[in-house]
Amino acid sequence: MQYFDQPLPLAFLKADRNGKIVSYSGIARESFDLSEGHLKGIIDEESIEKLIQYSWEPGLDPVKLELNMKTRETPLSLFEVHIQWDSEDYANMLFLPKDSSNENLMDKLMQLQQRLSSTDFELLEKKEELEQVLIRLNQLSGPFIPLSETLCMIPLFGDITADKINVISESCLKAVFAGEYEEILFDLTAVGEIEGKGIEKFTQLLKTLNFMTGSIIKLIGIKPNLAKVLNTYKLDEWVQIDQSLKQVLNVYFNRNELGAT
Amino acid sequence: MNQAETLASLLLQGDSAKVWENIQKQPQLSRLEVYQNLITPAMQHIGHLWETNQITVADEHLATATCDFVLSKLAYRQEKRQSNQKAMFLCLDGEQHYIGLKMVNSLFEEHGWETKYFGPSLPLEYALKTAKDWKPSVIGLSVSIVYHLPKLKEYAEAFAKLTHKPAVLLGGRLAGKYDLLPYCSDHTVILKDLPETKEWLQNNEAGGQQNAIF
Repeated sequence: MQYFDQPLPLAFLKADRNGKIVSYSGIARESFDLSEGHLKGIIDEESIEKLIQYSWEPGLDPVKLELNMKTRETPLSLFEVHIQWDSEDYANMLFLPKDSSNENLMDKLMQLQQRLSSTDFELLEKKEELEQVLIRLNQLSGPFIPLSETLCMIPLFGDITADKINVISESCLKAVFAGEYEEILFDLTAVGEIEGKGIEKFTQLLKTLNFMTGSIIKLIGIKPNLAKVLNTYKLDEWVQIDQSLKQVLNVYFNRNELGAT
Repeated sequence: MNQAETLASLLLQGDSAKVWENIQKQPQLSRLEVYQNLITPAMQHIGHLWETNQITVADEHLATATCDFVLSKLAYRQEKRQSNQKAMFLCLDGEQHYIGLKMVNSLFEEHGWETKYFGPSLPLEYALKTAKDWKPSVIGLSVSIVYHLPKLKEYAEAFAKLTHKPAVLLGGRLAGKYDLLPYCSDHTVILKDLPETKEWLQNNEAGGQQNAIF
């Protein structure tokens, strides 16, 4: 193996048909560990097949191919290798490091991808937060308010959705069973829209309450737009309807006064 | 051109819209089948094109980025089941071949798992920190380049020491090609392709928690 004493700007190697290195340039010696004296010592195992297949046929034209090389610095580094066979059946090889030229582009690409995925992740986290907030919101949208020993009220807030009624049902049933209420009021004054599935669940809740407690259930604060929708669900079998809390309370107090006298 | 070659050429053009169109031509395929029968062979063909000196590594990067985008689109709005289990997925430090990992992550999500997907090249210290804080029941690793194998041993041993005993799953190009057992810990499960991964998921569902570490 001979030192090729020319100031070449790239790593240069000359090898025979068996891959034995016969000559090397200064930069080649700096870049690669040439102690084996053979191309197999400096080319990644999985690139050797490629080298043999695509450049080891002698021809007049120079061949260009990408190979992974073992350098002194890293165990795997991409090079563009230019090969020209000469008349003495030696391969003259120039090694152009490719990683450095790709690196910038790759880094940018990776950064973009990472930004996309982190944005994705942040969105996901926000979504999870939002789901928690919604559950919390649902829990708070149907507070149970005992008005007296025998009268209680559950005002509903916001749209009537299946999720919301599910969440409310649990706490509502628990609270109602804990007391002995003769009348249960559902105040719909603060209700916005009604979803079909929501009203189904709501009807189920009313039926359950009706069966389990035998209490009188009253819907109050029904606005005209709600009245139209509720009318289609035939609720009057299970509930009574009153205009407002004021009216119910008036009746309630008058009755109690009468009872007292 | 066969299906894989066609899809590979679209990926190499960086044309995500055409790739999407091409995949949508077979709406009857399940997501697993899209991964296993369309995307995997196309990406393998791209590797083959480099080996046969027809494309450069830069082309491969473009194809990978395009594929990544299409996978994200495929995974979007997929139907999810509930399982309440957690899994994290990462490539070993320096490993840039992450498409397979991303598909596995997506499969887990499809099965209702909550996942953290770290993609390419995650240093062990970060992986360990997340594993300790978040306590996933599965840690999925991917390795495709032979010289990363010594690191694999390091990762597998570090994960095996975790007190909450996660199942460590190993996949990637090398898992189907070589016997990686010598580089694993006792608790590492090697999955050589996506159908095996799916099978593992189904066994896990059927057997519940106690099967998670077989």
